[in-house]
Amino acid sequence: MTTAAPLEVRSLTKHFPLGNAVRRAHVHAVDDVSFELRPGTITALVGESGSGKSTVARLLAHLSEPSAGEVLFEGSDVSHVRRRRDVLRYRSQVQIIFQDPFGSLNPVKTVRHHVERPLRIHHVVPSRQVEERVHELLRTVGLVPPEDIAAKYPHELSGGQRQRVAIARALAVEPKVVLADEPISMLDVSIRIGILNLMSKLKEERGIAFLYVTHDLASARYVADDILVMYAGQIVERGPIEDVLAAPLHPYTRLLLEAVPDPTTKTEGQQIELRKGDSSAAVDPGEGCRFRMRCPLAIEICAHTTPQLVEERPEHAARCHVTAPAN
Amino acid sequence: MSQLEPTLGPALDLSLEVPPRRVHRRFRIPGWLTLLLSNPKSRLGFAMVAFVTIVALIAPWISVAHPLDFNVLATRQAPSWNHLFGTTDQGSDVFSQVVIGARRSLLLGVAAATLATVVAATLGITAALVGGLVDDIINFLINVCLVIPPIPLLVVMSGYTQDHGMTTMIVVLALVLWAFEARILRAQALSLKSRDFVDAARASGEPTWRIVFGELVPNMISRIAAAFVLVFYVALLVDAGLEFLGLGDVSTTSWGVTLYWAQTNSTVLQGEWWPFFFPGAALAFTVLGLVLLLAGIDEFSNPRLRAEKKPRRGRLRMLFGGRLAVREESA
Amino acid sequence: MTSLVEQPLVTRARNADLLEVRQLVVEYGFGARAARAVDGVDFAIREGEVLGLAGESGCGKTTIANTVMQILRPPARIAGGSILFEGNDLVGKSTEELRRYRWRNVSMVLQSAMNALNPVMRVGDQFVDAVRAHEKIDRRQALARAGELLELVGIDARRVSSYPHQLSGGMRQRVVIAMALALEPELIILDEPTTALDVVVQREILQQVEALKRDFGFAVLFITHDLSLLLEFADRIAIMYAGEIVETAPAERLGANPQHPYTQGLLKSFPPLRGPLTPLTGIPGSPPDLRDPPTGCRFHPRCPHCIPEQAELYRRQTTDRPRLRAVEAGHEVACHLVAEAVE
Repeated sequence: MTTAAPLEVRSLTKHFPLGNAVRRAHVHAVDDVSFELRPGTITALVGESGSGKSTVARLLAHLSEPSAGEVLFEGSDVSHVRRRRDVLRYRSQVQIIFQDPFGSLNPVKTVRHHVERPLRIHHVVPSRQVEERVHELLRTVGLVPPEDIAAKYPHELSGGQRQRVAIARALAVEPKVVLADEPISMLDVSIRIGILNLMSKLKEERGIAFLYVTHDLASARYVADDILVMYAGQIVERGPIEDVLAAPLHPYTRLLLEAVPDPTTKTEGQQIELRKGDSSAAVDPGEGCRFRMRCPLAIEICAHTTPQLVEERPEHAARCHVTAPAN
Repeated sequence: MSQLEPTLGPALDLSLEVPPRRVHRRFRIPGWLTLLLSNPKSRLGFAMVAFVTIVALIAPWISVAHPLDFNVLATRQAPSWNHLFGTTDQGSDVFSQVVIGARRSLLLGVAAATLATVVAATLGITAALVGGLVDDIINFLINVCLVIPPIPLLVVMSGYTQDHGMTTMIVVLALVLWAFEARILRAQALSLKSRDFVDAARASGEPTWRIVFGELVPNMISRIAAAFVLVFYVALLVDAGLEFLGLGDVSTTSWGVTLYWAQTNSTVLQGEWWPFFFPGAALAFTVLGLVLLLAGIDEFSNPRLRAEKKPRRGRLRMLFGGRLAVREESA
Repeated sequence: MTSLVEQPLVTRARNADLLEVRQLVVEYGFGARAARAVDGVDFAIREGEVLGLAGESGCGKTTIANTVMQILRPPARIAGGSILFEGNDLVGKSTEELRRYRWRNVSMVLQSAMNALNPVMRVGDQFVDAVRAHEKIDRRQALARAGELLELVGIDARRVSSYPHQLSGGMRQRVVIAMALALEPELIILDEPTTALDVVVQREILQQVEALKRDFGFAVLFITHDLSLLLEFADRIAIMYAGEIVETAPAERLGANPQHPYTQGLLKSFPPLRGPLTPLTGIPGSPPDLRDPPTGCRFHPRCPHCIPEQAELYRRQTTDRPRLRAVEAGHEVACHLVAEAVE
């Protein structure tokens, strides 16, 4: 088995136009993002709403085209392919799970339909084996008895069950990469762990590379191996998750860590700086660090030079003039 | 070490029951038909529409006289055993007019509604899905068709085609009526398009046509069917207007035509309700049947409505408020 | 601060429970298919106290919020019990009396309230509407009050002339909180106030609410599914499951020594941010359908301590509904297992 990264992203960029023809601005939803997903690992992509993390997932899922940059699948750039054959080949290897467990299933179709379609489209198994494979997939994600579940409609299932159906659908094509866009944030708390455990199991048993997009640091820590922290469209820190959380370099990562309510520690809640304005750091940002408005460490250079990602420790890089200065 | 969330056994199974298993007969009744027939409302609607269709089919055998026969000796007669629905001011038998008129009305209504709805759905969904220039063009077309006054358009078209037959009428009616519904269906398709399950279908590799017919349309069936019924109704009324312009086919009659003549001859003013009432009632009856059928279609596109069967007694309770229910609880 | 003109329904009394809910029963629907969203719930909130109400979807917590606020709509209705606000039972009050009660004695921030702001009205005008619905003051005064309140929640007063879409999600939520404060109520109900917001904004808002609470002295009923938030921000916490309260305790006590198996399961569903990482299991199964809840203890199908081998206990778990019993001062649990241990 090759150890090459199945999916590599280089300088991925996506800009959205705002306003009208007279006053046009651009939201830099994703700016110069580079990373790779390795087999058998879960990479967490963490950021607040508006950071661009969902956009990254959609770009990788080929649901949207990048403004610049490359998405390399097994070495070749797939970001602008149009031919159905090529797109289909990509889709048979890279799948996505969405945030809303109800919205991602067609309400007038049964569970069987949802899991069956990818099998048929990609001819994963011959027709007569489809039903058996559907049941197998449902069993893999913990939905038993599969015959009963397959006949149900989405509204007859709980949120956790629906999300498992979405996972089964993604697994049907036997993908190398699964993009999970906030898969548990709309589920009840007691159900979330089950889904995270399922992701871990699939990563170990099938060697799938997961991209776990979330705003919840604690769940990222529980399930992921590596972490990418995004702010205003850029990656501001990356590295093995234990290293990053134990010794965060970027001020935003530190802010996130302070802000998470942690029931296991008995310390008094940390006070954080209140903002007066709102974050529109991603609209026509220009040069300079995008976090400087909120940063307690900001110095003069931060206002006019965009910091680069610098590997301050082995495998652990941050984008900050103060904590990870370029030499 | 990861552990699976233990799954639900039958004891913990939740909410609603599995939809009834399909009985396999020699020939398979399509699922949608079973659904339509299982709901009492749509059963009634189906029966009503079927009734009207059958009447239209056997019309030549049950009408007592040619609808356009006039008999000056028997004008303006109230309903009687000779003339079940009475006669018009020209002595024509209203019953025959209604019954034979059903053929043309139904044909006109169904054909115009089908054509208009198909065009509206196709263009509306295409505009929503494709967006960009195509969307702009279709929007422009919709606006143009909405703005053009229908009657002058009809005059021009009929003059141009020199043919006053059914086909022209159907085409003209569809041309006039599609735009309104297209706008609505486009809006619905737009909102559906951004739902995750459409993206999920794309991510699975579904071809666009399957997304349209397999994912979008089933969720839009309710609205499309409603569009059909609306166009049907309007087409029949516009039919009367066409008669006025001399664009109608003189050799046949329809409900709209009968209604028109009843109105112009001021029959109601003279206390003669029957030339007005019976064709109107026939139209209302047919449209009511179609609307009840819609209730069944609603169930198809919203599976949540399928399994829930409210107990009949519960409905009465709802009318009389909460106290009754509380009393029952404590009993 | 500009002063109030109309008198609130209830004036402050001293040393009483601000809000006391006794044996509250709220039903949805009728007859055989009626579901009891709230089934015999007791709790109390003192002046200036933050009571957290935690539970998952369908446990009834939002229904309780709507009931205390008296904004239940058919087919939901109060089928039993009483809601005492400073000793006065709200059940049975007239519409006019309830109007004076709402927003003046108790106000509420609904779930996703920030999305409930009217998109075509300026923020200031919405304030004015809200205030003038409950109090007779003129527009100019109301706008002035709106500006003051915005400053209180950390928003520039000039934003009264902004439209909701010009503000971020966090700012909109703060606007809604400011609206809830407009008439200086004694109790504010927060129903999932930060669910749609990210962690940093969440903390900012809750810090703000704490600061306001210190200044104004109101009590808070804080409803959320995120128990970890309550452990930090609440004084006391009540855990709800399937329409009942299963455990009540001061926040630290609950975090340190949870007694009810459901609470224990919930606490184990939060992966730790620091410290050792161990595999977790969450809680198997799903919350029950309230139209047909399990007999006896409603949690028993999912409870790891409910096993048929322990016949006597099992019989009780499946037939008798457990009552809230004190295990120590201020710490009550509704559980057969715990009741046995206490005896």
